[in-house]
Amino acid sequence: MTEANAAIGIPATSASAAKPKRAGSALISRLIAGGCILLAWEVIVRMFAPAYVAKPSNIVMVIPKVMTDPLFWNSTAQTLGAVAQGLILALIFGTIIGLLLGRSVTMERMLRHYVNGFYAVPMIVILPLVTLWFGYTGAARLATIVFAAVFSIIINVSDGARAVPREYLEVAASFRSSKLRMYIEIVLPAATPYFLAGLRLAAGRALIGAVVAEFFAAIGGLGHFILYNSRTFHHAEAFVGVLLLAGFGVGFEVLVNWSTKRFLPWYRRDDRGT
Amino acid sequence: MLRNTLSRRLPFFASLFAGMALWEIVGRNSSPAFMVPLSETLARFWQLVDNGQFPAQFLDSATLFLTGLGLAIVVGMPLGMLLARIPAVRLALDPYIMTLYATPMVALIPFILSIMGFGFAPKVLVVFLFAVFPVLYNTVEGARSIKPELIEVARSFRSSEWSLWREVMVPYTLPFCMTGVRQAIGRGLVGMVAAEFFLSSTGLGQLIMSSSQNFDTSGVFAMILMIGLIGVGLMRIGSMIENHFARWRV
Repeated sequence: MTEANAAIGIPATSASAAKPKRAGSALISRLIAGGCILLAWEVIVRMFAPAYVAKPSNIVMVIPKVMTDPLFWNSTAQTLGAVAQGLILALIFGTIIGLLLGRSVTMERMLRHYVNGFYAVPMIVILPLVTLWFGYTGAARLATIVFAAVFSIIINVSDGARAVPREYLEVAASFRSSKLRMYIEIVLPAATPYFLAGLRLAAGRALIGAVVAEFFAAIGGLGHFILYNSRTFHHAEAFVGVLLLAGFGVGFEVLVNWSTKRFLPWYRRDDRGT
Repeated sequence: MLRNTLSRRLPFFASLFAGMALWEIVGRNSSPAFMVPLSETLARFWQLVDNGQFPAQFLDSATLFLTGLGLAIVVGMPLGMLLARIPAVRLALDPYIMTLYATPMVALIPFILSIMGFGFAPKVLVVFLFAVFPVLYNTVEGARSIKPELIEVARSFRSSEWSLWREVMVPYTLPFCMTGVRQAIGRGLVGMVAAEFFLSSTGLGQLIMSSSQNFDTSGVFAMILMIGLIGVGLMRIGSMIENHFARWRV
């Protein structure tokens, strides 16, 4: 009896006692690990690599210079503006098409394989085509971003629209609700978590699409800033751009996860797609 | 039965046919510099196969892709399980793996180019970087979700570390790894084309680039169609692998 109590009791008390302590020690071990990574990077580059290769000390030194460079902010604004614009377009079209696919069996059977097919196409191969169609302009970048983002939204929204419990729709139908109201008041809210999951994927892909388009077509932006600086052997400056891109990637991920937890707490996130 | 499958298949074939017809009609009615009909695209593709360009470049790309993906799996899977087994290290490295998972790896290509130059190794590195983080991330997440009871039971039967891995860790984590592998296949393909575009031009990427530089629009369309179909095929293989291992995943 006492043994059983002890067996149950020990993990419970140790877990509750260890919790606050563990959170603090996690932070410390993370900081230590980060320090080790930076140190290893610095030492390896100093020992084996040519002087122009980016190392943490150089990167920290050039940050003030890059931060006061209007070209850097200009590039950032251009890339982010294009990503935002492309995401909005992809959201509008993706949601409409996704709802149609999710709620109509015929549409689903007719268009599903096109959507899946285009989703599987590595977005980067369309670059030669979009530059052919739109020239070496911002429009080509926008087209790449929309292509990169729209299909993951379609797929997720249609999955969400299909997951609406049938009873809800039946109740709405028996109260003679109109089709449009049913879409707006039942299907759309029910699909929101899926929509957010799609948005998270789409944002990552859109960012990649923007950078790739800027590499390929030499359109001004963060991707081009990185390319230009690394070509002229200003690796540390270029790496500040990479850090900013990584920050946006992580920031968006965190934002979507947080808002899913905050506003849709009943929804357990389930990873899908790439 | 037959009627049922027919009515299910009919919209698929009808829309496939409609799509092909639409491509053909639009292609015939627009400037050949911008859009090429399907028939011409297929003819051009056959030409590329016939003169040996496509098979040679395909083999080149496949070598690159499989080397990079293979390395990513060989490194990512054991490393992920090891990390999950040593909680202190996993806790310390978790945020960095997450960050790298979410970082657009394309941004590193210019650095790889100017440090490693042209050649096979830098391109393999690009494919590897694209593919390894999905494998690593999913493996860690999977191995982390092993119920502590399973390990405790194994421990109370005095199983050695080796048999704990063989009987509990690996079988439990494999389905999650396979989700990572499926994602890695998709990302690795993007990495492959990116490496062939922006590093030394070889393989299918080179074929599409040279077509576009020669204003050979039908060649561009033929290559996009083929790489697209390869992408679809690889995705299907990926999901098949994933489903095969996911039979008992809850």
